[in-house]
Amino acid sequence: MKVEELLTHNNKLRVKLTEENRKYYEDMLVYIRLSYDKSEKETEEILSELLGHLIEAQQEGRTAEDVFGKDPKKYADNIIGELPKMVSKERLLLGSMSLLYFLGVSVFFIGIVRMINQYVIPIDQMTNEYYILSVVVKTLTSIPIAFLLIFGALQYLRWACFKNISRVKDFFILWGWEMLSIGIFVLVYYLVPDIGPVIEVSGWFVALLGIFLYLAGSFVKRISTNN
Amino acid sequence: MTIRSQLLKGILEGCILAVVSRQKVYGYELSMKLQGYGLEVSEGSIYPILLRLQKERLIYGKMEKSNSGPNRKYYYLTQLGEEALSNFKKQWEGIKIPVDLLLNGEEQSQ
Repeated sequence: MKVEELLTHNNKLRVKLTEENRKYYEDMLVYIRLSYDKSEKETEEILSELLGHLIEAQQEGRTAEDVFGKDPKKYADNIIGELPKMVSKERLLLGSMSLLYFLGVSVFFIGIVRMINQYVIPIDQMTNEYYILSVVVKTLTSIPIAFLLIFGALQYLRWACFKNISRVKDFFILWGWEMLSIGIFVLVYYLVPDIGPVIEVSGWFVALLGIFLYLAGSFVKRISTNN
Repeated sequence: MTIRSQLLKGILEGCILAVVSRQKVYGYELSMKLQGYGLEVSEGSIYPILLRLQKERLIYGKMEKSNSGPNRKYYYLTQLGEEALSNFKKQWEGIKIPVDLLLNGEEQSQ
């Protein structure tokens, strides 16, 4: 079975769980899925097995605690410890998908801002000119920063699992992290000097390039989930 | 890890191989079978073991679709698994008989 099918099946079946069992199972599900370097197919298969087991046990009147023990985090860690790692092909696909999505969204918004500048309200000193070397340096520095920021957010989400952190607190921590991320990107943008030859590109073209990169990302995603 | 849990884990692995060798089983079924034999294992503890046995290629699992109920992953023994099972049987005999003798208090004849 494909990953996609396992995902939809899991979503459909989870509603059969009682409130208490669903909470227990979903905490485990989020935590296990956030162990990003594991084979996605194996991960979804074991999640589907655990869910199936829990549903059968529930019908016999047993709870998730009876089945998996009192400590869901410890149990999930046991599972994660035995899950096979992603193979390099999967890693490569996931990496290039994230990269294309990230570049796609960023480039699209740069294009939109330039278009606003050109047609709606002019923004100070903004032109359609790009210093080629600066663009290269900005792109190459923002990619590792983006990966680090995402990695940090994932680590936080994993840490927060099973902890019953209030939604408000959760929201503000992630919001703060986002603000920090945006701040770092703006900083990179301003710190990199204008170097290299200049080319002129219209905002339309930049936005279209963004869309194209994003579509390429979703194409890679299709390949990886069809495996 | 304590010696006790390590010992139990090895034994549980052997028992799982033995059940899978008789017929294809899925997780829930397997845990019920083990309990049916009187083995007091918590149900969930079989899944990390099943994952490990798959990684070691002693068993393999096949997901079978179901539209109404849960999907089931059925497990089968591999050639390697058969070898591991007969190995386990030999080792188990080597432990069981002397330990039984010892516990039953029979003096070793000299």
